[in-house]
Amino acid sequence: MNKKWKRDDLIVRSLADSYLPIALVLGFYVILHGNISPGGGFQGGVLAASGVLLLYLGYGFKGVATAVNMERMHKLEAVGAIAYVLFAMLGIFCGYNFCRNVLWDSGEIGDVWSSGTIALMNYSVGFKVLTGVGFLLLLVIALLATGEDEEHSGTITTTEHEELERGKGK
Amino acid sequence: MKRLVMAISLIVILCIGVYSVVYMQQEVPITYDGSDLDVYELQQNPQDYDISDPDGVADIIVKENLAKTQAVNNVTAIVFDFRGYDTLGESFILLIAITGATVILRRRRDRWEGGK
Repeated sequence: MNKKWKRDDLIVRSLADSYLPIALVLGFYVILHGNISPGGGFQGGVLAASGVLLLYLGYGFKGVATAVNMERMHKLEAVGAIAYVLFAMLGIFCGYNFCRNVLWDSGEIGDVWSSGTIALMNYSVGFKVLTGVGFLLLLVIALLATGEDEEHSGTITTTEHEELERGKGK
Repeated sequence: MKRLVMAISLIVILCIGVYSVVYMQQEVPITYDGSDLDVYELQQNPQDYDISDPDGVADIIVKENLAKTQAVNNVTAIVFDFRGYDTLGESFILLIAITGATVILRRRRDRWEGGK
């Protein structure tokens, strides 16, 4: 194999640039309209978390490491879980059972804000899945990353075989 | 300090529980009591049971969804309202899975400190 050959990822980078906003907007749209359109918190969260993968494809490991704070994502996931339990405990505060929908008649049918705690739980689950799956993707990306000295700006190492080839070249 | 915060939060939760028990004693919450479902007939002759119309909880979910929850998407209403406990468990399963992945891949996380 020719050792001077280097992958030029201009096309991948420009595609990631143009698809990242679309993925984020689509994900947040699916989360926000979970109670009036097909979709919901889980699906929208995974769609929005795919932005991490697009960022990695375009800008490599270093780009993701400077753009996203891993520890903060791990903590925000717990915030989403606590928010779900708090919205479910609104029923207890009003004197009914757990998971009771106490705000169900606030808003018109078909609006974005309708159906009370269903929408609120939807948002909290979407936030939780967004941060959780994003954290999982960051963990997996850290497996693919090369060492500090071998780090190219934006070059993608996809397989273990390629890593060995690069080590031989040195 | 930690023990004080723990004791205060436990006392608050206990007060909420006692309050809700007293409140529910005075005003019984309306839940489904199985009035329209003939369980004995369903158990004896399942072939002759009338299944053209849904009954029981399915009747409530299909026919009175808009009146009870005002959510246009019926699946979201089921997942987050009628089966809220299920979604709670699912989200905690996701949390546990991510914690397990973190434990397995903990050595690789040192690279993230180098990247910053």
